[in-house]
Amino acid sequence: MSRTMTVVAAEPATAPSVLSQHVTGPGKWGRMRDGVRRIPHDRAVLAVLAVLLVALAVLSVWNITESSAFQDDEGTYTSQAFSVLEDGRLAPYTYWYDHPPLGWIQLAFLVWLPQLLGLGGDTHIGAARMVIAPFFVATATLIYLIARRMEVRRPLAVVAAALFALSPLALTIGRQVYLDNIGVTWLLLAYYLVLSPRNALWHHIGAGIFFAVAVLSKETLAIFGPSLLLALLNRPTWTNRAFSVVGFLVVGGAALALYPLMALLRGEFFSGGGHVSLQDALVYQFLTRSGSGSIWEAGSSRAELLQGWLFYDRPLVVVGLVAAVLCLVQRRSMWIPVGIAFFSVPIVTGEGYLPAMYIIGILPFLALAVCCALNMAWGWLERVADQQTPSVRRAVRAAGAVTLAFVILVTVAPQWVGQNRTLLTHETNQDWSSALAWVEENIPRDDTVLAPYAMWQDLSASGWSDAWSVVATEKADLDPEFLNQHPEGADAIDWVVVGPFVESNIDQLGLTTAGEALENSVPVQTFGGWSIHRVLND
Amino acid sequence: MLAVLLSLLVVMIALVLFAIATSTLYLNTYAWWDPKTQERTFYGGVLGEEQHSFSLIMPCRHEEEPVMRATLGALLNQTHRAVEVIISVGHDDPGTVAIAQRLAAEHPDSVRVSVEGSAVKNKPLQLNAALMMCRNDIVGVFDAESIAAPDLLRNIDSCFVGRNADVVQGAVQLINFKDTWYSLRNCLEYFTWFRSRLHAHANKGFIPLGGNTVFIKRHLLNQVGGWDTDCLAEDCDLGVRLSTLGRQIVVAYSPDLVTREETPDSLKGLVKQRTRWSLGFMQVYAKGDWKQLPTRRRRALAWWTLMQQHFMAFAGLVIPIAIIVAVWGDFPMAVTLIAFLPLIPTLATIAFDVCMLHEFGRDHHFRVSAYDYVRLVVSTPFYQLVLAFAAVRALVKFYRRDFRWEKTSHSGAHLTYVQHTGEVVGA
Repeated sequence: MSRTMTVVAAEPATAPSVLSQHVTGPGKWGRMRDGVRRIPHDRAVLAVLAVLLVALAVLSVWNITESSAFQDDEGTYTSQAFSVLEDGRLAPYTYWYDHPPLGWIQLAFLVWLPQLLGLGGDTHIGAARMVIAPFFVATATLIYLIARRMEVRRPLAVVAAALFALSPLALTIGRQVYLDNIGVTWLLLAYYLVLSPRNALWHHIGAGIFFAVAVLSKETLAIFGPSLLLALLNRPTWTNRAFSVVGFLVVGGAALALYPLMALLRGEFFSGGGHVSLQDALVYQFLTRSGSGSIWEAGSSRAELLQGWLFYDRPLVVVGLVAAVLCLVQRRSMWIPVGIAFFSVPIVTGEGYLPAMYIIGILPFLALAVCCALNMAWGWLERVADQQTPSVRRAVRAAGAVTLAFVILVTVAPQWVGQNRTLLTHETNQDWSSALAWVEENIPRDDTVLAPYAMWQDLSASGWSDAWSVVATEKADLDPEFLNQHPEGADAIDWVVVGPFVESNIDQLGLTTAGEALENSVPVQTFGGWSIHRVLND
Repeated sequence: MLAVLLSLLVVMIALVLFAIATSTLYLNTYAWWDPKTQERTFYGGVLGEEQHSFSLIMPCRHEEEPVMRATLGALLNQTHRAVEVIISVGHDDPGTVAIAQRLAAEHPDSVRVSVEGSAVKNKPLQLNAALMMCRNDIVGVFDAESIAAPDLLRNIDSCFVGRNADVVQGAVQLINFKDTWYSLRNCLEYFTWFRSRLHAHANKGFIPLGGNTVFIKRHLLNQVGGWDTDCLAEDCDLGVRLSTLGRQIVVAYSPDLVTREETPDSLKGLVKQRTRWSLGFMQVYAKGDWKQLPTRRRRALAWWTLMQQHFMAFAGLVIPIAIIVAVWGDFPMAVTLIAFLPLIPTLATIAFDVCMLHEFGRDHHFRVSAYDYVRLVVSTPFYQLVLAFAAVRALVKFYRRDFRWEKTSHSGAHLTYVQHTGEVVGA
């Protein structure tokens, strides 16, 4: 068939106008004018959204440096961000391909700002949390926007964003310095572009780039690839399918390839003597790292982890999973259950190591599943109501809204209110601060100190000369450079700072140097879960 | 200190290359950028009545009779009724003059011959001489070896009316893609140029016109004094001058309305042709008419467009060097990775080329084999090198003020393809 549009020849008088209309369309200015005209109509909505956004911003930083407790992983990423910022290196110690570095490179680009403004309670790890806050806000906003792109009713889209932002689980780990929090924002941006109704090629290329950024921020997010591709492919009409898919895959793939390329250029792609390698890191992460056991085995750390997630937010996880099944009914929401399914496979079937923050990736999907299911239910309600008289119709709608509010109030609110009150009011980092202050005041700067990562950056920035005078606990054993710096081994260590997880880490990772130093030491000061030990060297 | 400077240099070159590669990617894929864009790039449809009459100029030099006969045949076969053809030849080329006169004698009502008599010979001189003989509203140019689609002029006519155009640029497509290793790349280059890139230019208000299947209102052409006889890229130059005058230039595409042509018949011919274009672009750039464009944005676009040939040459040469330097130059990791950045849009461009080759085959009913796709990808760097060589050659000629016309010769390779598609479409 010819693709030349043939305007009916019998009506020459009207043809030119049809032609020019076809040619010019509404145009940029036309669209803008239309937009301007719509604004007064939407002003109330805009105001509501602005208020919600401000509330979200306040929520994202409220009590953020006090609760929850600073974790070693947070300390690791904080120290790596400052290493990028201050020394132009990927880590204060040997970078060993534990994660692609883009996550903490982004942190590094932002973390100087809260420091400059004195935010984050004058601690490095607190400043890093302040940088996570905008990602938290952006994630919640993107949940709203994605819901809107899926034609979910506006109030229900707000519910989706609220389900995420108010979930105690998200509010706890979603505001901590985890790479997942950075990656998820980019992942959702990729979904937002993929779901663009315009089918524009550059949206799909952009989605490929943002997906690559997400994966380079936290590699586990790669598991959402099939779901994202499904969201891209699964549309009824499409003119440039081949271009879009190729653009998405090639540009995304090329951007991703920068990571193995980096390893290759550093001569650290393949395993070999005397250097770290991407290959070794992958083998460690996927195969040799001590596993978390099976989820079906009572008391395994995997089962405990799941219990922990449910402890923080059972409603969202359970209701979200049920809603996800409902989402299978609708073509446009099918990517949500697919994403959740792929994400769950390693949890349910695997026995390998499962990190505690893994759950972060799925929270937006659960919130979206809930709002999509609600939207379907509401649509059904409206169809029923439409057959009735106007007054009955209003009554049915009101009843629906009241029921929804009631259900939320009964199921979610009790657990959430209690959890969130604790989170937003408790001060859990007092002991950490006291221990830090004590070390800074009492330990001479030429002594060698072993400290957990949760405190490492703040300690190391308080006057010690380098990463080998205040040493992160694991590094004394795991980074061969320690023995180059301190040939005498454990004897070089003068102090050991012990945090809540130090002893179990020594145990699990088999840290002999750290263990030896701790064994030969006596506690000199204790603050709750934190204590400072002096090593008794002969 | 030196290390820091070298790093800075590598980063800067990488960023320039990235900008070039990204702009190439943008222009090549512009038509597919948005479904709305794609619609906009098509002809608007055919009106019930013909509104304009056409004078078509067919410049010929050292051509074979079958080639000229086929070209003229397609022009006389137009469904549009008001068409006259002027075959334009030079007096120093008696063979072609004789063929032209023989052909004109066969169609005394609609074909005439213009014999240009000056001492120096080039295409714009022949075009201007023929222009003096044109009588109709709109002047169109068709190269001696190009086959117009039968409905082309009716569509062009409607385009002038429907879009209130002063100039309409139709599409040209090289089609003998299976003949040589470079002809596949060459064909695809035309495909992206007329299918996509020109539309991006038209949309942004600056456009270098092509020398074939281009239609201009005759009074306007006379008003600007016809083609610039000193310029090797007289078509591009005319586009620039009309752009600065703010004239409405419309580009339209439809796969079944492209004018079909063949690639140069040897690599040497390709290099000559490219050298001429590059040199022509350099001349147009040096003439500086583009500086009269109304907005800074358009001037920037003009600069970017006229430099494009060189950018592509530069990119083709420098990307491998940059990678070698990056890998073995012992730069900081960040610098090395930045040096690799231009590779991302470059790879994407090649991947999209594969998609476009598929669309090219579909549009023109050609069977594109897996081997052709492989050929396309593998030949990319070599083709880039040929373009780079031609651009460098042009640069040398430019500084030696050597603006002689190197003619591209034609064997008529496209005619078998035209016949083939005719059969397919007919069936």
